[in-house]
Amino acid sequence: MNGIQIVLITAVILVAIYFFVRLHNSILDFLLLLAMVTAALVFIFLPDITNSIAHKLGVGRGADLVFYLSIVIFWFVIIKLYIRIRKLEKIITDVMRKDALNEAGQQKTSQS
Amino acid sequence: MYNSDHLRKTFIIIPAFNEKAVIGRVVDDLLPLGCRIVVVDDGSPEELRPQVARHNEVFYIRHKVNLGQGAALQTGIDFALKQGASWFVTFDADGQHSVEDIPAILTPLFMEQADIVLASRFLTKGSHNAPVIKQLILKAGRWVNYIFTGLYLSDAHNGLRAMNRIAANTIRITENRMAHATEIVAQIKKHKLRYREIGANVLYTPYSKNKGQSSLNSLKIFFDLVLQKLFG
Repeated sequence: MNGIQIVLITAVILVAIYFFVRLHNSILDFLLLLAMVTAALVFIFLPDITNSIAHKLGVGRGADLVFYLSIVIFWFVIIKLYIRIRKLEKIITDVMRKDALNEAGQQKTSQS
Repeated sequence: MYNSDHLRKTFIIIPAFNEKAVIGRVVDDLLPLGCRIVVVDDGSPEELRPQVARHNEVFYIRHKVNLGQGAALQTGIDFALKQGASWFVTFDADGQHSVEDIPAILTPLFMEQADIVLASRFLTKGSHNAPVIKQLILKAGRWVNYIFTGLYLSDAHNGLRAMNRIAANTIRITENRMAHATEIVAQIKKHKLRYREIGANVLYTPYSKNKGQSSLNSLKIFFDLVLQKLFG
């Protein structure tokens, strides 16, 4: 095992532990994460697998394939997050608006 | 054409964020019109209540956090709707609009010729003291607006507007920040509201130039619009 493998495996395991501790209520999340961690560990231990997949897809090196795929995945994640943020923003706006209108209403009745 | 009863049922909505220096004067200038005034303080760090609450005609609403001008406008419209307003005017807090233009933009509503009237700085003769870059951006803004909304208007982002109850009930601003101007136009088109553009001066004082949107902001608006279009 060489240096980079140790670094990556440590990182993957730490991330996995962190998430397993926090996501104990959703079976689906758990399984998804388990699959991802397993895949990551397999590819780190056996980099030749990624190389052969890459060749089949017409990509020169396994590392390049991983790089291309990560761009697509990150793109997807950013869009998901963006939608999530818009939703949260809408909720906050609705709550704040309701609160502001309530307060304005009270102020009026106390004046008269 | 119209009487004081019309004006009493007209609510002027002023979204304000950190306009402590001028908001008091803007409100004072508006009071003689005889309209109701709603100042929506969009979470200014320092409350604007002392500057505006001197008169009974003035309603003061405050967002606890800063949400953006679009959100403040919608809050003001919701409030005026609840108060039974018949007509609604939106007015910028930095004093760049002239009070004298308000009766002119309200007239088509009073005469029931339009549901919403949009002020345009490009339909007046004396309006071209706008800085050159600002003029270019506003002209580009017309096309951006046209692409996103299907309506070609002469002034893409003018804060002075007037609408009747039909329009106020129909239009829902969900763009919290500056893209709301385009959103309003899109909803005019979508709901087939009767609209009209009327010339109104925009005063570029050193204060309003400083406070107003920077030219870079137009890029932000553009991205807000693109993202909204793509992902709702």
